[in-house]
Amino acid sequence: MSILEYAWLIPVLPLLAFVIVGFLGGKMKDNGAIVAVIGVGGAMVLALWTAFEVLTTGVVYKPESMEWVVLSSDYSMEMGVYIDSVAAMMLIVVSFIAFLVVVYSTAYMHDQGKRQRRYFTEICLFVGVMLGLVLANNFLQMFIFWELVGLCSYLLIGFWFERPAAARAAKKAFLVTRVGDVMLMIGLFLLFTEFHSLNYELIWGNLTTADQTTLAFAGFFLFGGAIGKSAQFPLHDWLPDAMEGPTTVSALIHAATMVNAGVYLTARAFPIIATSADVSLFVAAIGGITAFIAATMALCAPKIKGVLAYSTVSQLGYMILALGTGAFLWNQGHHEAGSLAFGAGLFHLMNHAFFKGQLFLGAGSVIHYVGTEELSKMGGLGKYMKVTSITMLISCISIAGIPFFSGFWSKDEILAMTFEATDVNLWFLLLWIMGVATAFMTAFYMFRMWFMAFKGEPGEGTKHVIEHGGHHHEAPIAMLLPLVILAALAFGSWLSLFIGDGFYSVINVEGEFHALSIIERLEEVFSSPLTWVSIAMAGGGIALAYYTFNKRRISAENVVSKGFPKAMRQLLLDRYKFPVAYDKIGYVGVYGFSLLLDKFDRYVIDGIVNGISKFLIKAGGVVRKSQTGFVQNYTTLLLLGVSLIIVLLYVVGALR
Amino acid sequence: MNIPLEYILVLSSSLFVIGAAGVILKKNIIVVLMSIEIMLNAANINLVAFSTYYGDTTGQVFALFSIGVAAAEVAVALAILLNLNKQKKTVDIDEINLLRW
Repeated sequence: MSILEYAWLIPVLPLLAFVIVGFLGGKMKDNGAIVAVIGVGGAMVLALWTAFEVLTTGVVYKPESMEWVVLSSDYSMEMGVYIDSVAAMMLIVVSFIAFLVVVYSTAYMHDQGKRQRRYFTEICLFVGVMLGLVLANNFLQMFIFWELVGLCSYLLIGFWFERPAAARAAKKAFLVTRVGDVMLMIGLFLLFTEFHSLNYELIWGNLTTADQTTLAFAGFFLFGGAIGKSAQFPLHDWLPDAMEGPTTVSALIHAATMVNAGVYLTARAFPIIATSADVSLFVAAIGGITAFIAATMALCAPKIKGVLAYSTVSQLGYMILALGTGAFLWNQGHHEAGSLAFGAGLFHLMNHAFFKGQLFLGAGSVIHYVGTEELSKMGGLGKYMKVTSITMLISCISIAGIPFFSGFWSKDEILAMTFEATDVNLWFLLLWIMGVATAFMTAFYMFRMWFMAFKGEPGEGTKHVIEHGGHHHEAPIAMLLPLVILAALAFGSWLSLFIGDGFYSVINVEGEFHALSIIERLEEVFSSPLTWVSIAMAGGGIALAYYTFNKRRISAENVVSKGFPKAMRQLLLDRYKFPVAYDKIGYVGVYGFSLLLDKFDRYVIDGIVNGISKFLIKAGGVVRKSQTGFVQNYTTLLLLGVSLIIVLLYVVGALR
Repeated sequence: MNIPLEYILVLSSSLFVIGAAGVILKKNIIVVLMSIEIMLNAANINLVAFSTYYGDTTGQVFALFSIGVAAAEVAVALAILLNLNKQKKTVDIDEINLLRW
């Protein structure tokens, strides 16, 4: 009897908590917080245990799946569980961060009163369906949960629905990701017609015999789903708006878990994408472009959560870049390099989930303390928020890519693999340059945020809080503990590379590769000039931020006060006009087309229906004149009719 | 001595046609009602004639029923006419066209 047989319980526990909190939460003293903690905590224990079992034994757990819908003897849909090392890693990330965030929320959402019931209900639903998404053994089941996490995202972004901005952001997130979901559905249809099933293993196993054009299109459209969910260019614009939700939601859904679903989908579709060099290159290019443009937008974001949101988009771009590069290398026959890049992408996913989750929770702690999101109103907070500032510093160093912090290992690996692909295709040189530039900007904007918030002169918000003496404590222990734990992981999650076969089995897509020991890995990493390039970039970014926003040797205000930098800054604040473009497409394109359809409906469809009824009314008007009301007319006609029938019968009878 | 069936049929059809002509042509609504009775009696004559011809009394029983129903029908019809007459102050059938379009 192994724990794996209970793996199906992992999503069930939070869903149970969802039902309990949803119906009874209002009657509880803490509005169901404790039930949520227990439900998600139970799921975490089970998930960690399951993941441990799968990762240490290296066994892929795939029990007999249940037939769900049988369309005919060879078309069927199923429900089942599939846990390989990728799913196991996702289980660890999702369940662990979800648990910490729920614990954090019990303190963070405390002032929300009765509304907490709704919050915890939706969070439990989200955790349950997200874990269900990870456990699915086929694309359809994944898609169902995929839509459900989208729903939870919508509900939680719009948690403060009475604020117009939040309501708008929720709608935008829902609609923009829906564009990706339609693409994903098209991909699923293509796969279903080709393979008659959507089971992962069945599809992966029959790729060589399938129609390659269909596969290329299927890979492309599946990736379209990932573009929407993981906020990739050009559908990235919903994520910055999604920051209207509570900060805990941003941490859990829009940094650590749900947005990773797109990367997870791309990882699941990896063998399909890898069948086509063009699609692989497309994936890598989208990743590279997203990483770059999102990083530029983060450079001058005025709000602390805005910086983190753009940073999330940018880091997701890195992951997609890694997966695309991996697929391309795999397609070109470099299987080992391809799977290393694949692993690097997922490794970055894990590291990013930890440090970005930490950063968001830290930002939550800051906002909780100063009561504003504007970076310019903070400043000098480091003195009053020791734990928050130090833990956030660790995460900032990690995301910037300073050696021995986890972010360094995965980002360096991604850039190294991208550079390696340059040998095969020169486009990757451009992507590599973009990646390196992004690394520089990442270091810069993260430390800009950190210095602006925690160092320098106390800003408006800081002064206000200190003068009024409201909070002398920085945050309750339930908020600080998750920060510390996540900061430890933001530093230390790279060690998973060396725990037995542990993380390395994620890196292997298939086949046996030599797992490097610590010494070998250090040698390999630090003997490469590329590593020094990325370290230099990170160091340069941090130094620039230090001189600009801490020492104030360089005046940021002067730089952006005129000319090209000013115009550029405005463009970045306008997010490259993407929101305007969305509105244009929405109003002119979609709304215009809808108006056209409305006209068609009004004049053509309604015209036909109304025309028929008008004709019948007119015809009735003519025919009813025969109803004279004179009894004798009726009688005459009746008699004539009967006589006619008799005569006819007689004639017919005679003719027989 | 039996009266041949044809004679009776000729009688009944003559009565029927006379009745029908009365229904169609007469202007007085009472006369129209009476004409309908004539048509009914033509049918009754037929029933009795065939009953005798086949030596089966069912037809005669039916004729009795028919007369009974006709009596009831005339009672109803006269009641309607009486009310109609109260409203319209006329017995001219051309004046009565309430059921037109």
